[in-house]
Amino acid sequence: MTKTYLRMTLNERIQHLNLFINFTILVITGFTLKFPDAFWASFISDVEMGMTYRGLLHRLSGVLVLTLGGYHILYLLFTERGRRLLKDMIPQLKDAEDLWETLKNNFFINRPAKKIKMPRFNFREKLEYLGLIWGTIVMTVTGFILWFKTEWLLYFPMWTWDVARAIHFYEAILATLTIMVWHLYSVVFNPDIYPMSWAWITGDLTEHEMEEEHGFELERIKAEEKGKPGGFGEVAGVGGGRVIPLHADEERKGSSLRQLFDTIKNFNENIKNWRGM
Amino acid sequence: MGRDLEEIKSAVEGALEKIERENLKEDSSMKRKERSTKVWIVLWGLLPLLLFGGFTAGVVWSKDNSMCLGCHQDESLSKQDAGGRKLSLFVSETGFKSSVHGKLSCSDCHTHIKDDKHAEGGQKAADKRVNCATCHRKAEKEYLQGLHSKLIMKGTERAANCYDCHGKHNIVPHNNPKSMVNISNIDRTCTRCHSDMTFVREHGLGEAMPKEEFRKSVHGKSGQMTCTSCHGSHDLRSLTDPKSSIFRSSIPHTCGGCHPDITKQFVESIHGVLAARGRSDSPTCTTCHGFHGIKAVVDPDSPVNEKRIALTTCPQCHAAERITKAYNLTTKTVQSYYDSFHGLSYRGGDTYSANCASCHGVHDIRPSSDPKSMIHKDNLQKTCGACHPGASENFAKTKMHAVASITGSEFGEKAVGWVRIIYIFLIVSVIGGLTLFNFMDWLRKTIDRAH
Repeated sequence: MTKTYLRMTLNERIQHLNLFINFTILVITGFTLKFPDAFWASFISDVEMGMTYRGLLHRLSGVLVLTLGGYHILYLLFTERGRRLLKDMIPQLKDAEDLWETLKNNFFINRPAKKIKMPRFNFREKLEYLGLIWGTIVMTVTGFILWFKTEWLLYFPMWTWDVARAIHFYEAILATLTIMVWHLYSVVFNPDIYPMSWAWITGDLTEHEMEEEHGFELERIKAEEKGKPGGFGEVAGVGGGRVIPLHADEERKGSSLRQLFDTIKNFNENIKNWRGM
Repeated sequence: MGRDLEEIKSAVEGALEKIERENLKEDSSMKRKERSTKVWIVLWGLLPLLLFGGFTAGVVWSKDNSMCLGCHQDESLSKQDAGGRKLSLFVSETGFKSSVHGKLSCSDCHTHIKDDKHAEGGQKAADKRVNCATCHRKAEKEYLQGLHSKLIMKGTERAANCYDCHGKHNIVPHNNPKSMVNISNIDRTCTRCHSDMTFVREHGLGEAMPKEEFRKSVHGKSGQMTCTSCHGSHDLRSLTDPKSSIFRSSIPHTCGGCHPDITKQFVESIHGVLAARGRSDSPTCTTCHGFHGIKAVVDPDSPVNEKRIALTTCPQCHAAERITKAYNLTTKTVQSYYDSFHGLSYRGGDTYSANCASCHGVHDIRPSSDPKSMIHKDNLQKTCGACHPGASENFAKTKMHAVASITGSEFGEKAVGWVRIIYIFLIVSVIGGLTLFNFMDWLRKTIDRAH
C-alpha cells in the first residue's frame, strides 16, 4: 500500500460535490431549453410540465452555485486552510515555466521528456480555477438579468437583455466544453491518473499522482517530514493545511467497505500500470 | 340502372321546363290574356274534364293497395334491370303502412308503370314516373338548385335523388329516430356514398372521408350537428359555387350561425378582411380549425391546441415562402420566435410560455398599424404586461422577432450578432487549444509508456 497524501478535506469535497451536482443540473436544464428537439432533451420535455419546472430547477441550481460561491469566499478568507489555498492558487512565474516545459515535452522538443516538479496547484489547476471564477461571475450576472427582466428593463433597453441572453448561452457552451475537455482530462483521461483520481471521494492522492502532478509539493512535504523525526504530520485542516501523509498502514484495515474500495483501487492501478505481456 | 337514370333525367328536365314555363307565364300573362282570351276560355273549360279523366284513370289501381301488394309482398319477386342485374320488387306492407305515406295508395306515386303486364289490370295513367314534387314542391325547387340534381343532369350515375336520402316505401318523419334524415342518422345516410373510397375517387372528391373524422369531432360528438348543418340539405351546393354555404368567403357566416361572436371578431380581423376581399390565401375558420374533424381546443390533436398552434397552425402560412412574399412579410418571424426564450420553451412543451396567440390574439388578429391591435405600439406594454406584471416601457420599445446579425437593422440585432461572433471565435480557439494541448499530453505520455 502506497502512502497517500491529503488533497481535499471533507469540507472541500462537499464543496466540490455541490458544484459538481449543480453544474450538471445547470448544464442539462439549460441546454434542454436551447435544444428542445434534441433526443436527450426528451428526458425533460416528455415529462408533464417538465419544461415549466425546468426553468425553476435551473434557477434553483443557479442560486445554489451562487451560495456555494459565497461560502467559498468566506472559506478562503476565514479559515487557515482557505487562506493557504488562496495563497497557493496565485499564479507564479514558475507556472509559466512549467507550462513552457510541458509544451516542450508534449511537442517532443525535450527528448527524453523532462520531469517537471509542479507546486501544490499546478498551472492546469490554476487556469481552471480562474476560469471557474470568471464563468461564475459572467453566468451569475447575465443569469440574474434574464431572471429579473422586469426590474432590469426598468432601467435598461431591451437590447441589453438580448445581449445578456446571448452571452449566457455562449458562455455556457464555453464552460461546459472546458469542463469536458480540460477538467475531465485532468482527473480521468490523463494516463497518469486514469481511470480516475479518487481525491474527490477519498480526499487522498497517491504518491505516484503526487510525483506526476505535484512533484515540488511532494519534495517540500518530505523535507518537512525529515525535519520532524517521528513522522507525525499535522492534523488535517489545521497548521497551514499542506498536503500531509494521513493514513498509517494499520488504519487501512478498516471496514469491509474500505477493503473493497482498496481492492478496486489496486485493480485499477494494475490496469493503469500494465505495460503488456 | 341506365334506364333509371334516363328516367330521373327526364323527370328533372320536365320539372325544370315547367318552372321555366311558369316564370314565362307570369312575365307575359297580361299580354297573352289580351291576345288569346278565347284560347284560355276553351282551356279552362276543358280543365274539369282533364281532372275527371285523371281521377278515373287512377281509380282502378288506387282503391286500395291489396291488388299491388298481392304480388309485391312476395319477397322473391324481382326483375332484371337494363344492365342485367337483379332488382327486388318486394314491398313490405307493414313497412309501408307505418311510413308517413302509409295512407296513400300505391298509384298516388306510381302514376305510371310502363310494362304491359300492369296495363292489363287498368288504364295507363299520365306519363310520369314516381314524382315526389307532385306534393313536395318546395323541396323539389330547392333540390333543383343544388349540386346533386345538377350532377344528375350531367349524367353522374350515383348522384343522390330524393329516395337515396329519404328512402322509398318506408319513409318516416324526420323527427322519428328511424328516419334516414333524422339528425342522428344523416351522417350515416351521406357517408353511404361519401365515405365509400371508390365513390370518392371516381368523383374526384379529394378522398375526404368524413365519416369517422366527423364522428370523433367536437361537432359530431355533440349530437346537435350533422352534415346538413353546414352543407345544407336539398340545395347543398358545390365547394366552388359562390352561393354555397361552404364557399370560402361564406364559411365565416356558416360557422357564425352557431358562433356569432367569434365571426363578429373574425370579420374585422386582418384575416377576415382579406378573406372577404377574396384572397384565397387568407385563412378562414377551416384553415386553422379544420372542417369535418374539428376538435375541441383542449384536445391535443386539435390544430388550435396551445401545444400545436405555433408549431403547425400559424406557420403553415407564416413560414411559407410564397404567402409571406405575397404579403411583403418574412418567414423570419417564425424562426425568430423559435429561437426566442418563448419559442424555445414552447417547443419543449411549456404551455406557460407565450405562443403566437398570446401576443397577436386569436380571432381578432390585427396588423400592428391598427390602433386596436394587441401589438400596436401603444398596446404592446399592456400585452407584455399580461404575463409580465409591471412590464416597463422598454418592453415595448424594441423590435420584436429580431434576428441576430451583424448586418441587422437594429442596434440590438447587431450587438447580439457581434457577441455571437466574438464568442464563437473564443470557443473555437480556447476549446481547440485546450483539446490540442491535452491530446499532445496524452500522446506523449502514451508513447513514453510504450518504451
